[in-house]
Amino acid sequence: MAQPSHDFALAAPEMVLAAAAMLLLMFGAFRGNQATRVVAWGALAALAIALVLVLQAPAGRAVSFADMFVVDGFAHFAKALVLLAAALGIVMSLGFIRREGMERFEYPVLLLLATLGMLMMVSANDLLALYLGIELQSLALYVVAAFQRDNLRASEAGLKYFVLGAVASGMLLYGCSLIYGFTGTTGFDAIAATLKAQPEPPLGLIVGIVFLTAGLAFKVSAVPFHMWTPDVYEGAPTPVTAFFAIAPKVAALALFCRAMLTPFAAIVADWQQIVVFLAIASMLLGAFAAIGQNNIKRLMAYSSIGHVGYALIGLAAGGAGGIQAILIYLAIYVAMNAGTFACILCMRVRGDMVEGVGDLAGLGRNQPLLALALAIFMFSMAGVPPLAGFFGKFYVFVAAIEAKLYVLAVIGVLASAVGAYYYLRIVKLMYFDEPAEAFERRVGGEMAAVLVVTALFVVVFALFAAPILDGAGTAAQALVAGGKG
Amino acid sequence: MYVAIVFLPLFASMLAGFFGRLLGDRGAQLITCGAVSLAALLSLYAFYDVAILGHTQKVQLFEWIDSGSFEVAWALRIDQLTAVMLVVVCGVSALVHIYSIGYMAEDPHIPRFMSYLSLFTFAMLMLVTADNLVQLFFGWEGVGLASYLLIGFWYERPSANAAAIKAFLVNRIGDFGFALGIFGVFLVFDSVAFDQVFKSAPGMAGRSFEFLGWQVDIMTTLCLLLFVGAMGKSAQVPLHTWLPDAMEGPTPVSALIHAATMVTAGVFLVARFSPMFEYAPNALAVVAVVGAFTAFFAGTIGLAQNDIKRVIAYSTCSQLGYMFFAAGVHAYGAAIFHLFTHAFFKALLFLSAGAVIHAMHHEQDMRIMGGLRHHLKRTYVLFWIGSLALAGLPFFAGYFSKDIILEAAWAVHTGVGNFAFVLGLAAAVLTAFYSWRLIFMTFHGQPGARAPGRAAHPHGHDTHGHGSHGEAHAIHEAPPVMMIPLYILALGAIFAGLAFSDYFVGAGREAFWGEAIKVLPENDSIEAAHHAPLWVKLAPVAAGLIGILAAWYGYIRRPGLPGELAHTHAEAYRFLLNKWYFDEIYEFFLVRPAKWLGRLLWKGGDGRIIDGFGPDGIAASVLDLARRTSLLQTGFVYHYAFAMLIGVAILVTWYFATGHGG
Amino acid sequence: MVLQGLVFYVFAFITVAAGCMVVAARNPVHSVLFLILAFFTSAGLFVLIGAEFLAMILVIVYVGAVAVLFLFVVMMLDINFVELREGFLQYLPIGALIGLILLIELLLVLGGMRLTPELTRQTAAPIAALAAESNTHALGQVLYTRYIYLFQAAGMLLLVAMIGAIVLTLRSREGVRRQAIARQVGRRREEAVELKQVQPGQGV
Repeated sequence: MAQPSHDFALAAPEMVLAAAAMLLLMFGAFRGNQATRVVAWGALAALAIALVLVLQAPAGRAVSFADMFVVDGFAHFAKALVLLAAALGIVMSLGFIRREGMERFEYPVLLLLATLGMLMMVSANDLLALYLGIELQSLALYVVAAFQRDNLRASEAGLKYFVLGAVASGMLLYGCSLIYGFTGTTGFDAIAATLKAQPEPPLGLIVGIVFLTAGLAFKVSAVPFHMWTPDVYEGAPTPVTAFFAIAPKVAALALFCRAMLTPFAAIVADWQQIVVFLAIASMLLGAFAAIGQNNIKRLMAYSSIGHVGYALIGLAAGGAGGIQAILIYLAIYVAMNAGTFACILCMRVRGDMVEGVGDLAGLGRNQPLLALALAIFMFSMAGVPPLAGFFGKFYVFVAAIEAKLYVLAVIGVLASAVGAYYYLRIVKLMYFDEPAEAFERRVGGEMAAVLVVTALFVVVFALFAAPILDGAGTAAQALVAGGKG
Repeated sequence: MYVAIVFLPLFASMLAGFFGRLLGDRGAQLITCGAVSLAALLSLYAFYDVAILGHTQKVQLFEWIDSGSFEVAWALRIDQLTAVMLVVVCGVSALVHIYSIGYMAEDPHIPRFMSYLSLFTFAMLMLVTADNLVQLFFGWEGVGLASYLLIGFWYERPSANAAAIKAFLVNRIGDFGFALGIFGVFLVFDSVAFDQVFKSAPGMAGRSFEFLGWQVDIMTTLCLLLFVGAMGKSAQVPLHTWLPDAMEGPTPVSALIHAATMVTAGVFLVARFSPMFEYAPNALAVVAVVGAFTAFFAGTIGLAQNDIKRVIAYSTCSQLGYMFFAAGVHAYGAAIFHLFTHAFFKALLFLSAGAVIHAMHHEQDMRIMGGLRHHLKRTYVLFWIGSLALAGLPFFAGYFSKDIILEAAWAVHTGVGNFAFVLGLAAAVLTAFYSWRLIFMTFHGQPGARAPGRAAHPHGHDTHGHGSHGEAHAIHEAPPVMMIPLYILALGAIFAGLAFSDYFVGAGREAFWGEAIKVLPENDSIEAAHHAPLWVKLAPVAAGLIGILAAWYGYIRRPGLPGELAHTHAEAYRFLLNKWYFDEIYEFFLVRPAKWLGRLLWKGGDGRIIDGFGPDGIAASVLDLARRTSLLQTGFVYHYAFAMLIGVAILVTWYFATGHGG
Repeated sequence: MVLQGLVFYVFAFITVAAGCMVVAARNPVHSVLFLILAFFTSAGLFVLIGAEFLAMILVIVYVGAVAVLFLFVVMMLDINFVELREGFLQYLPIGALIGLILLIELLLVLGGMRLTPELTRQTAAPIAALAAESNTHALGQVLYTRYIYLFQAAGMLLLVAMIGAIVLTLRSREGVRRQAIARQVGRRREEAVELKQVQPGQGV
């Protein structure tokens, strides 16, 4: 019996995170909740080490653990993004958990474990590895969503997320079993080889892909599998929402890309329609439903649904151009959303968090710098050039046009025009309306740092985009080539 | 080194702008002056290295935009043309920076001012070092922005704000043409990099495209569009109206931006695109006619102006006209030569005027001045030097450049050339006349002798007696920090022509310009100019002398004459005083209809149609749709799960219905 | 062979029927009991194909631990399940329609499934024949070699589940007396008992 090769070095970032999570858990268990800050910084250090490991990993595609685990340029890019996003999420929550009585050492540990799950998702090259990565990530996030267990809304959010997540997992597993049944294997590479040998894919396989896509679409909150998003975003503690909005989205979309392109590269035309449907529905719902929202977190939920729609255009386009567009979009999306949520976390009136859109009124007069930052992010999300958000959309639409998906591109442009309305409404509120009660002026060092860094990124992206564009291009090439080879 | 030249000013600007409060006035001045002076020294070396030794090069900075076939790299193009511009921009900018220390000493916003100046310098350097059209446009808009900020620097003054907005708007018209030109170039040549465009330019000569049933020449169209941009920036008729108003800015700004550098960007553009313009003779003819007409037209207005800075501003306008018609008759080298010498003597004149204004406590009306030569001896001498150079009297800088321009215009022997030659000669007379009118009014005679009714006096000096005006204020010479830059410029105004004439337009010009400027052999008007007959060579000098004598006669010998003339020819005088009624014509034909249209669209279009349709139409239905979609979000878990299930069912059914797969 | 087939169908039928009853039973305790029945019959199916290790695990873990835990939870929670079902009928028509469509489609899909020789070759995991090795041994061999990655990942998953359960439920209440074993053990006679010499008939 041949022993499969195990190259543990390939999984070094994952192992660092796992070991760090367990060590910090032990440390916290012995030192109690006053050690939370130390644990949080420890988690950040672990993320940093993992990031270094990811960045200096050798280029080229390599598989390990019986072909279940793959590392390539695409994985590097997505992992770096996930790690950065997770670090941003943890940094942003430091002040909040201290103020709001959430200071328990399990919190950073759970986020670290969720990040581990995300890395595994990005590297998954097998249906089982995919499933376990998703579950690890989701289970940790269910818990943090309900972390304020005495808060009714947070508990409800956690429970809803859990129940619906279980339904989605069920669909995903059902899809996996159908795919396994019709191809006889769970490995992505093996599935690709099987499909290449067949002239036409069996219908059961397509149905399996539909179910698989449904499970993945739930994780990226694409319409119609998005229904949990607004409720969970609104109910969960704000830094948790921020984390939800950035890191898992990146991982899930990266997984989505790999799970479509590597095993099913031969039958693009068949699954493309699902993605097109998801993209159109998400863009439209994200644009229209956000208009009536008065809670800023809920609004951001719809905004993120819309953004996922735009990103999925890239996947629908397929090919290296589309994947590159997705990666660029994600990088920009992370920066914009992290910045926006940092602004939302600064919305405190006399010690209490407020979440109403109306509370932002007159912010331009009360806190001009914060208002300026938020305005930058809103303009960027609306896609106003020369801010980063414009380029994200631009590349996606170009990819769609090059793939001859004209209808998709046109709907995308229209939806972003509608979407601009509610982003700009916030800007208008901040600068032209009578001021509401002023927010607390103290913002905190970490938050200011996050705000400055993300705002700068969004503003100067146009000038210094070349490394990101190139990186995304190489990553996309790696994924597309891996699927063919 | 080139990177340092370009980015030192930016660096200094950011330091002074963001940390102005931290650095204090003195710190901001030191940093910006130091950085720009260093850049100036480096650019002198660059001039020696590139222009004299011929080491042209390109410095790649980084990739900027890469989208499809639209590739834009960020690179510095260092050739002879750039080197000349580097010296002009950095040199004048450094002197103006230093001068500003004295001139703006009492201003409360010194760091902001210095930061803007440095920012402008950076943008201008971006413009002249650009290697492709997009980068050029970036610099182009950057100088426009800095100009807007500096004209409106004293934002408390409504007139300064109005002037800033006017400059901005008029420039938008030009920039629109320029942007269209860039799009057109990209459309035709599939590239925006200069090298590719210039390489393929000969192949496009004579091709045409169809527009509304007309056969239009491609090269002519592109060149004209680019020239529209140049017209806006360089204040050529009819887009000249913003320049005199721009004098609302502080005087150093006028010297740097509105005399020596930014306004010459248009000339630079035409010279830079000489490889394209050479293949568009019709466009060149337009350039020559517009330039010649502006040279004459601005000169006539200069005759009747009473604001010391406005006189010099119209003179700038007129000299820019010279440069353009030089370019229009294929004498690009002469145009750049005049640009080069003009930078020295016009900056000198402006800064000297600044010294006068400084001495007069920010009084700019020449009618109130007079007899200043006793108080401002050194400034008086400097003014003479500047004016002699401007009028093109022999062996001053302007003599060499203006002569060669007029000779080239004569030497092409075309209708356009002759038109330019005649108008240019007339303008030379006018130039000399208003320059010495300025000198005589300011420095000779009695103070305030020509002052109109006291009510027109803006500073409310009513309490001072007629004759005691000057004494009451203790008129004093400017401090050394202002005078030293003036001396340096004066040296340039005297010797720049003599020293470089051979390189720019003489026998060594082909070796000097290298690849930077392209003139088709059959169009070499400068060569032809050297063989012009003697009377053509002497005519400009004679014109200058006539102008000076006329001024002397009118303002020293018989001081009453101009008043009489104005009285007897009141119509003509008012025509000139009101600048040919250009502003009034624009007001009547453009501004008022625009306002009317705006009001119509606002009340009728926006108010009735859009708002009328809006709330009942699109906007309302969007809101309605938004409300409906929100209703879907019931909050019940089983609704959500059900939605997911329906989604899956629809997708699966879709595949069954369309029969995909086996 | 016939007997095997008969047993298979009996077990399979009971499993499906019990599954339906889990959903349909009115009393939640009955639901859990039906679930246990389904587990038992599935274990029987496993035995039938020779996977005795899985069968035993199913009985021990699922029936012995999980299902009994469910039973406790259901009996301890005071939930009116009848009330929860009120919405059920309201959505029954459309729900039934969707379900029916999906069911038909899936049946069609499964009906079209054919096991080609290439497929079966790929499906076979690299383990020795059942006769050559015991079930447990064979499982252990692939679990810790070929599937080490998944095994470890599952371990992390369980760790998260454990942390989550503790985070969401453990409350450290104030004023609760706890057993301090170390203190109890370390206590000496002198601290606990005081001997008094009490004379008879005199009182303390």
